Amino acid sequence: MDWRRFAIIALIIVVMFGTVVLIGTSQNSPLVIITSMMATTIAVATPLTLGALSGIYCERAGVVNIGIEGMMLGAAFFGWLAAIYMNTIFHYPAMPSLIVGVIAAIITGGLFALLHAVLSITFKVDQIIGGTVINILAAGITGFLNRQLFFGAGSVFHGQIPNAPGVLPTIHIPLLADIPTVGRIFEQQPIAISAILLVIITHFVLFRTRWGLRTRAVGEHPRAADTVGINVIRMRYMNVIIGGFLAGLGGAYFTLEAISSFEANMTNGRGFIALAAMIFGNWTPFGAWTAALVFGAAQALQINLQFFRELIPPQLAVLQNSYVVGLAPYLLTMLILTGIIGKTIPPAADGKVYEK
Amino acid sequence: MKKLYSLMAVVLLASMLLSACGATTPTPAATQAPAPATQAPAATSAPATQPAATQASSGTAPDCTQANVFCVGDVTDVGHVDDKSFNQSTWEGVQKAKTDGVVDWAQYIETSDSKDYAKNIDTFAQAGYKVIVTTGFNLTDPTYAAAKQYPNIMFIGVDQGLQKDANHPDWPLPNLVGLVYHEDQSGFLVGALAAMISKSHKVGGVFGTDAVPAVWRYGEGYAAGAAYEDKKNGTTTTVTRVYHNDVGFDKTFTDPDWGATTAQSMIDKGADIIFGGGGITGNGAVDKAAADKVLAIGVDTDQYYTLPEADPYLLTSAMKPIPGPLEDLIKLAKSNKFPTNGLYYGASGYAPYHDTANLVPANVDAEMQALLKGLTDGSIQTGVSAAKPAQ
Repeated sequence: MDWRRFAIIALIIVVMFGTVVLIGTSQNSPLVIITSMMATTIAVATPLTLGALSGIYCERAGVVNIGIEGMMLGAAFFGWLAAIYMNTIFHYPAMPSLIVGVIAAIITGGLFALLHAVLSITFKVDQIIGGTVINILAAGITGFLNRQLFFGAGSVFHGQIPNAPGVLPTIHIPLLADIPTVGRIFEQQPIAISAILLVIITHFVLFRTRWGLRTRAVGEHPRAADTVGINVIRMRYMNVIIGGFLAGLGGAYFTLEAISSFEANMTNGRGFIALAAMIFGNWTPFGAWTAALVFGAAQALQINLQFFRELIPPQLAVLQNSYVVGLAPYLLTMLILTGIIGKTIPPAADGKVYEK
Repeated sequence: MKKLYSLMAVVLLASMLLSACGATTPTPAATQAPAPATQAPAATSAPATQPAATQASSGTAPDCTQANVFCVGDVTDVGHVDDKSFNQSTWEGVQKAKTDGVVDWAQYIETSDSKDYAKNIDTFAQAGYKVIVTTGFNLTDPTYAAAKQYPNIMFIGVDQGLQKDANHPDWPLPNLVGLVYHEDQSGFLVGALAAMISKSHKVGGVFGTDAVPAVWRYGEGYAAGAAYEDKKNGTTTTVTRVYHNDVGFDKTFTDPDWGATTAQSMIDKGADIIFGGGGITGNGAVDKAAADKVLAIGVDTDQYYTLPEADPYLLTSAMKPIPGPLEDLIKLAKSNKFPTNGLYYGASGYAPYHDTANLVPANVDAEMQALLKGLTDGSIQTGVSAAKPAQ
């Protein structure tokens, strides 16, 4: 993604934030509004970023993964379940329970990814179908177990959803978090912070390491990679599983960081929006992250226009209509996709089965 | 290759079976436990002539088609009977009628897709159920249609405040009653409390879509209650309401992450009380507020019992208790005294303060009781319209 795209996206975000600042300035100071909108943006972008990174690892290696939604949902459930078991059955304190929960979520994501890899790489099943299987499987398993474990006969929880060990604590980044008002942006929970770090790490891995070069080779031209001695099957397996770990961490965000309970289908399609962010970002980590931030900013715009509904001037009365405002994230998405991002180029061998 | 495809087919079938169990599982009322996986497929695949409900509970269910067996069926809105929200409250009401001996047999069907409303109602009708309870505003039209089709079955529509109009020309029907509430009064009460308790004089409300009249009444009542107390005490409280209008009816009440994010945005701008008014979406807001050590207000039932993690910060809940009035209606149906005017109003109110009682001074509590009395006897009006005016 070149600098011009970044500039245009930055401009869009500035316009979105600016509109709200102008409207809400009589009620909150501009700094408070911008800070709060940035906090919302980062929160919404966290699972999208992790999902998009997951997609990047898979697709850069040539495996389409539309099962991210299911991987996140499954990870959200099993991570939460592990934390609850640790906390209420084995009586560990909240913090170790939450850490075990996050690890369980990551492993769950990896296992779902392993299933996807087995289906799509070893058994050469159509990758779209493999991903669909994971989405349906995750929705089914989590919905079923969620009831069976808590309300089923012989449940150790006696028909009651136990008190969860809470959510991951907020980390105050030293010095930065002490700045008045703006410091709020630097008070983030661990998964939100690691999402940003993982963007940088993924960029480095993909474009600065031998591993990344091989991954990209396998995704662009597997036969050429094979002839120079790269193990295509192994590279694809590893990258799909790494992608699963990332989706798992994204799933942990829902039940261990955002709120402390699980609800059926609670990912609500965010795995697919993450894939859209990956495509907008042209399969690059920073591009996907910026796209996720645009989704987050659009969501912040939608929330905040409703927040300041009474202050919207009559010339902009259309923004008082909450249905019009509700469309904002989707309209913006389409605008950005069609008008600004332009052509995106997927890895050449993306979705193609490799047969020796 | 052939082997692989059969493997695929097995995995796909298995996952569909599991998702079917997770979503639509009519289960015997007595145990409240989901039916074992082996029984469940009948629920989704059985044709209308072989009602799923009776199949899934064969061996224990009495023959509901017999005149002396009083069976009650509950069709939920999209969601589950353990949703800690209105689907759960309705099912509790039906079960209460059963434990009290009013009902011989009770069963529910959980709707997994809004296209299935009519089909699920029909399943109970075909099985000879005497009373069919349908949960939620979204089932208004399917329930009305079914009531016309089956004049001998009594229908209770929770949250379905119908009136005579072009789409419902025959309303009121003698066998259809909408169990409705003055949600604006419940919202008014908690809004007034929020305005009296808030220190920053900024309070927020996170709601499902305002296209559902009950949600609209909660939200507007919340603002009206705060304004009422402002006028009385000379304060200025900013009430912000954000509705989840940007998604479909199937998601607007089941998006806790959105609720949490929205609540967070309000807290960042200084709100110190958050009202979560919209099923699981609202639960997310209440959870988030409590995690941030900000006071929260629950909705529909006393959420002190449904969201234990929020207890230390749960100020109250805007209540519209469903089980009591629903049981009353079922009793009336059994004794052939079913209301014929089409509407039955349940009482509105607010929940006890529980763990936050020390934050509520005696004069505030006295004012709350006076407000409840005034709203109930009509001396105080909320001034909220029944539904959102057309934009």
